[in-house]
Amino acid sequence: MISDSIPNASIAMASANPKEFAKKKRANRSAKLKQCKLDARREQWLSQVKNKGGCKDEVTGGAVAHGGPPLQLVTKSSRSIEKLEKIKTKCEDEIYGEDGSLMNHFSDSESLPSNSPTSHTSSVLGSNDSGLNFTASSRSSISSISSSGRSSSSSSNCFCTGNMSEEDEEGDADVEDDCLDDWEAVADALAASDKKQQQEHTPNTGSGLKNHENAIESGTQVGVGPTSANQESGGTAKERSLVNCCAWRPDDACRPQSLPNLAKQYSFPLNSERHLGGRGAVWACKNLGPTPTSCPICFEDLDCTDSSFVPCSCGFRLCLFCHKRILEEDGRCPGCRKQYEFEPLEGEAMVDGGSLTFRLGLTRSCSMITRS
Amino acid sequence: MAPGGGGGGRGGSSGGGGRSWPSTTSVSSSGKRIQKELSELSMEPPPDCSAGPKGDNLYHWVATLFGPPGTPYEGGIFFLDITFPSDYPFKPPKVVFKTRIYHCNVDSAGNVSLDILKDGWSPALTISKVLVALRSIFNNPDAYKPLVPGIAHLYLADRLKHDELATEWTQRFAR
Repeated sequence: MISDSIPNASIAMASANPKEFAKKKRANRSAKLKQCKLDARREQWLSQVKNKGGCKDEVTGGAVAHGGPPLQLVTKSSRSIEKLEKIKTKCEDEIYGEDGSLMNHFSDSESLPSNSPTSHTSSVLGSNDSGLNFTASSRSSISSISSSGRSSSSSSNCFCTGNMSEEDEEGDADVEDDCLDDWEAVADALAASDKKQQQEHTPNTGSGLKNHENAIESGTQVGVGPTSANQESGGTAKERSLVNCCAWRPDDACRPQSLPNLAKQYSFPLNSERHLGGRGAVWACKNLGPTPTSCPICFEDLDCTDSSFVPCSCGFRLCLFCHKRILEEDGRCPGCRKQYEFEPLEGEAMVDGGSLTFRLGLTRSCSMITRS
Repeated sequence: MAPGGGGGGRGGSSGGGGRSWPSTTSVSSSGKRIQKELSELSMEPPPDCSAGPKGDNLYHWVATLFGPPGTPYEGGIFFLDITFPSDYPFKPPKVVFKTRIYHCNVDSAGNVSLDILKDGWSPALTISKVLVALRSIFNNPDAYKPLVPGIAHLYLADRLKHDELATEWTQRFAR
């Protein structure tokens, strides 16, 4: 049965996910990554389930392989709850063990519109509330998931093994209203059976408001099944918002030190070139007085190259265009009326161009040196 | 001679002042340079001088020079036509006296023999400096590079007679 369920499930996922991805305009790369991750996770989970017992195989196999309505789950909910409780610890271990993969996946799915930090902060709060008021919050969060978009539920699919098949069911069947009712029934049953654990973990969820690790812990411990998906989506949402902070704000405290400082990189070359060009330190002409801002011949603005260009020993500056024009005619410096040091020949402009590129390269190399 | 050939120096009507000269959209480098000179000339004009576009052509200017005191040209107002070549400032502007003047460096057609308007031209020179130089030849005619040798000879031989004639011409033509 398991051997049947695996390919069926993968087919079901393959048929369901591209729909969602097309809907969300997700990139193909992230889709493939997610698919691989889902397959690997499913195999991992199924192997664990197989160790647990055959009864669980029925539940998961029925749900995953046949793609049947979640009504099966409702009828088996009392039984599946027991099994899922056993899985619970496994889930927790897996989630803790795969923090890195979680982070990676979040960074892949950052472009999702529903992943904005604000929406997830609200879901985080909702999931933390669910520690106190379990069924209500689970219902509301389920409805919010199914109504506001699939992205959060589908992203939580990948990480919640106990919930994966059911959520995929929801995606496959594409009958959201029926699913919603069934989910609520499952949630009610789960709430009834998990009351004790809620009491245990209420303090954790309270502190989870501030610590996202605690939020994940509560998410994995309070409930298994749909609620665990919600809890995880809450916890992961918070984590994702942290990732977003790291990505968007360079001055964030959570930003890793190893990340390069982009602002410095962006600003430095400009400044350095301006500085070097303005001071003319590279060109050894710093004692020639203030650099005019515009060419005295054509009154066009002098750029960095032009302002560092002093073709005559008298210090008369002009732009390169005017200099070339003068060289084509009489080749005398406008400032002192002396011939420029180069002979006004045809190759003159080329020689000047060569020295110009050399000077440009020199400026850049100097900026590199000062940067390092 | 290539009047206004290089650029689209077109604008609204302007008198001699040129203060309200509108900025044209696409001007060549010479146009930009001439406009810049015009604005600088209106900001701080050289003494006893004024210059500006004749009409709506940025490349045709009219300049006026007032005869400096202490010279035989005192009291005279001399009009000049200034024509900018399209490759200005790499080529000097053409300056022609429209007012007759008894001067060894200005011929009867109004052409001026001024070094900076010919070989001594530098692109760094401006119309303002040209006007100052023109005004200086009122004070000190260059009799050794004359355009009218007779006047230059008289200037060297009989300065009083030369000044007398120059004053007479000024009274006749430049009032």
